[in-house]
Amino acid sequence: MNRRTVTALVINDLRQLARNPRVLVFAVALPLVLWPLMWFLTSLTTERRQERIESRTYRYAVADEAASVAGAAEARMWLERALAVVGDDGRADGEPTDGPAIRFERVEAPDDVAAALDEERLHVHVAWEAGGDEDPSDGDVDQETVGKAGETTPRIVLSHRADLDASDSAEGFLRRALERTRTELREQRLAAAGFASAPDDLLPLERIETASEEQTSGLLLGRLLTAIIVMMMLAGGSIVATDALAGEKERGTLETLLTTAASRVEIVTAKNLSILAVAFATSVLNIVNIVVWMQLDLIAPPAGLTLVIPVGAGLLLLLLYAPAAVLLSSSLLLVSGRSKTYKEAQLLFAPVMLVAMAVAAIPVLPGVELRSAIVLLPIANLGVAAREILTGHYDWPLLAAAWAVTGGAAALLARASLRTLSAEKLITASELDAADLAGGPALFPRRVARWFAALWALLLVWQLNIGGGIDSRLLISINMAIFGAAAWLMIARYRLPAREALSLRAPPLGAWLGVLIGAPAGLVLADGVVRLASLAMPIPEAWIEAMAENMGAGLPLWQMLIFFSLMPALFEEIAFRGVLLHGLKNRLTTLQLVLIAGIAFGFFHVDLFRIPPTSLLGIFLVVTVIRSGSIYPAMAWHALHNALALGSARLEQIRLPEQPAWWHYVLALAATLLALRLMSRVDQPGTRRRGG
Amino acid sequence: MSTVQVEVEGLSKNFFDPSRGEVRAVQEVNFECRGSEIFGLLGANGAGKTTTLRMISTVLQPTAGTARVLGHDVASDPVEVRRNLGFYSASTALYPRLTARETLTLFARVNKYPAERTRSRVEEMIERFGLGDYAGARIEKLSSGMKQKVSIARTVVHDPPVLIFDEPTVGLDVLNALDLQKAIQELRDDGKAILFSTHIMSEAERLCDRIAIIDKGRIRACDDLEGLRAATSQHYLEDIFVHYVTGDNTTE
Repeated sequence: MNRRTVTALVINDLRQLARNPRVLVFAVALPLVLWPLMWFLTSLTTERRQERIESRTYRYAVADEAASVAGAAEARMWLERALAVVGDDGRADGEPTDGPAIRFERVEAPDDVAAALDEERLHVHVAWEAGGDEDPSDGDVDQETVGKAGETTPRIVLSHRADLDASDSAEGFLRRALERTRTELREQRLAAAGFASAPDDLLPLERIETASEEQTSGLLLGRLLTAIIVMMMLAGGSIVATDALAGEKERGTLETLLTTAASRVEIVTAKNLSILAVAFATSVLNIVNIVVWMQLDLIAPPAGLTLVIPVGAGLLLLLLYAPAAVLLSSSLLLVSGRSKTYKEAQLLFAPVMLVAMAVAAIPVLPGVELRSAIVLLPIANLGVAAREILTGHYDWPLLAAAWAVTGGAAALLARASLRTLSAEKLITASELDAADLAGGPALFPRRVARWFAALWALLLVWQLNIGGGIDSRLLISINMAIFGAAAWLMIARYRLPAREALSLRAPPLGAWLGVLIGAPAGLVLADGVVRLASLAMPIPEAWIEAMAENMGAGLPLWQMLIFFSLMPALFEEIAFRGVLLHGLKNRLTTLQLVLIAGIAFGFFHVDLFRIPPTSLLGIFLVVTVIRSGSIYPAMAWHALHNALALGSARLEQIRLPEQPAWWHYVLALAATLLALRLMSRVDQPGTRRRGG
Repeated sequence: MSTVQVEVEGLSKNFFDPSRGEVRAVQEVNFECRGSEIFGLLGANGAGKTTTLRMISTVLQPTAGTARVLGHDVASDPVEVRRNLGFYSASTALYPRLTARETLTLFARVNKYPAERTRSRVEEMIERFGLGDYAGARIEKLSSGMKQKVSIARTVVHDPPVLIFDEPTVGLDVLNALDLQKAIQELRDDGKAILFSTHIMSEAERLCDRIAIIDKGRIRACDDLEGLRAATSQHYLEDIFVHYVTGDNTTE
């Protein structure tokens, strides 16, 4: 890559932007003023509204007929006491405050209460009814009904208009005053009867906050930081991204650029750098702008938020967000490249922003930890990581994993945007090639990754939302149904020859011996991988217990074998060693095929701690199918592997050693290699080897 | 005799269209172009001229066959191919907010012209194409004639030995078209190998040293004007063109 070329292209992009006053005003300058102004106006409006509410005189009326009701004297007493304290809503801890003195003025009771409320001659109407005819626990008693329904105690009824600000406020003040009066009265009566009068006398409570101020503030900042940064980066980056490819295409300068000696990599790098530079600059401008407004006391930060990040944490965050920034800029560039016009690019940015914001908002959710499947979700993982860093938790292996996952996704998207730039549809009207036109089996290899990506996203959402919340048998059944249905859909949609796609062929006889040797040996190796991974990611006890629970520890053995051994062996093999392998086999080298298809299988076990051993199993099963040319040994291996894993957890006789020696693993490795060798069809003439 | 700068062998390009199916835009095209030569591709609209030139400029990938520019293969060495050619067409636009001088500097840089000579080369181009008074003005402010001059200047600013002009006079008035033709002839005299596509007979007749008549993606004839006249017994290029396009005389 030529640095001079990239620099020239970046300068060109920035120069184009700097000389576009309309874009600068509307996309950069105006938001700088508008965002804080909106913030300022919102708080100003709230303040003014509060002032008006507190300064207004509210008109109330008492129903004429109320005087004749039994217990009217008591009801009047309640109302007078409430009016004496109205507006003093008290603090959450029950201590009185210097609340605003709300003025209530009694007016004559109107004949038509509804009309008076509507015309605002009256803000709240008070009536009372004789008590004793309804049980207070009856669900029909609404919130405006105050007082104990009894033989002599009346029920106070407040009428108001919720859609009129003054009426709604008047009712709120009066109701809260009545509720408070009721509580005080109850406490007085309890005290008179010899019970403790104050709640603290009954059970004193004290709260001690052990988190430091930085940690509390860090939690608040950490929840919001990623969403704010993503929003700013997208808003800033889209200014350049729209013009980067879609604008150039529309103007006709893209073809000019593509016929120069600048390579596609140089062009994509330059475009990404331009997007990043502008996104970074506008984000910094916006942050500085908000800080300045805060310093000038024109806007107030959220309560408890301190905008101070330690230098070390700040640098780490900067490093952490780097792949997210590349991911965002590449997504914007990809959208721009796929759009035919400037306008289309602007339209397509909306869903990208929506998805990115939804993912970036995940750190706001309580209970989401980095040490979970969330580490596999780009951007969201960095958001949760940032939240943990800001609260002083540094989970280094998981931080590295989150960085790598988002970095990997960024690299994939950068590659996709590079391919977009090489695509002929940038220049020609035709968007199709031979495979597109032919459709069916010819197109499937190009679509298989999308199908499995969608399947993975579906499974992730399903697992995160349902998890262990339902019966494990149902969970497995639904998972398997998803795999089975997806495999069937792919075969039907692309008219794949089922026998070929699923490798439904008789394997060599040696393959069965290979299964008998390989499955137990592979299980020992998987155990080794778990132990190795746990050095970096210690497995929590709670996870092991939940795993035992999810794997149906209480189920009869035959059910466990069906749900945890036979069903996965059938449906997962059809999906992964059937259609996935079939789709990828002609696009990858054998080594790539084994690693990608194997590890993809691991990632579908969205639980973080299960990914390493299941990836290893996936690799063995892919090799099994490639070498034997048949899916059946892989099914048998999978079933036996799961059965042995279950058995190892339940039966003393086949339990794996607690502390295996190194030679156990060496022996298992040798046995596995032997098993995989036995799968080979090399010696059988007329058979075709897959892969490569 | 100058050396061969562009070699095209069996070049083919198929497009795929949902309504028309597989469209063979260019089929087994063969020709070569030498230095100090204007090689014309003469054909009607949709004959395959632009597709052929886009394959040579590496914007499109050939379905079959090869093309080499100064020995560099378009498929395996596209950057080196593009470094050695300048591509001009009616659809290649300029950045409207750059000045003429900035435009020339940008294209010299992205075409990897030596850094130490960029400034002097840009000034040389400004002087050669009479852009001096407008060199600091933004492209969007220039007249179409001036824009055309900047376009030619940016095509040759990195001094490529091969130039492609794809229907360059489309949309130009007569005077601007003549200016452009004059510039192309001067570039030929400088030793450049020039591929020139057009559907205007008079233009091809006036400019081209050799002409390839292309129809439905195939080259029907390829020779100098005298050779074509002798082969068809027709004097005017228009008649020669009709002879090849409506007849069945294919030169392979």
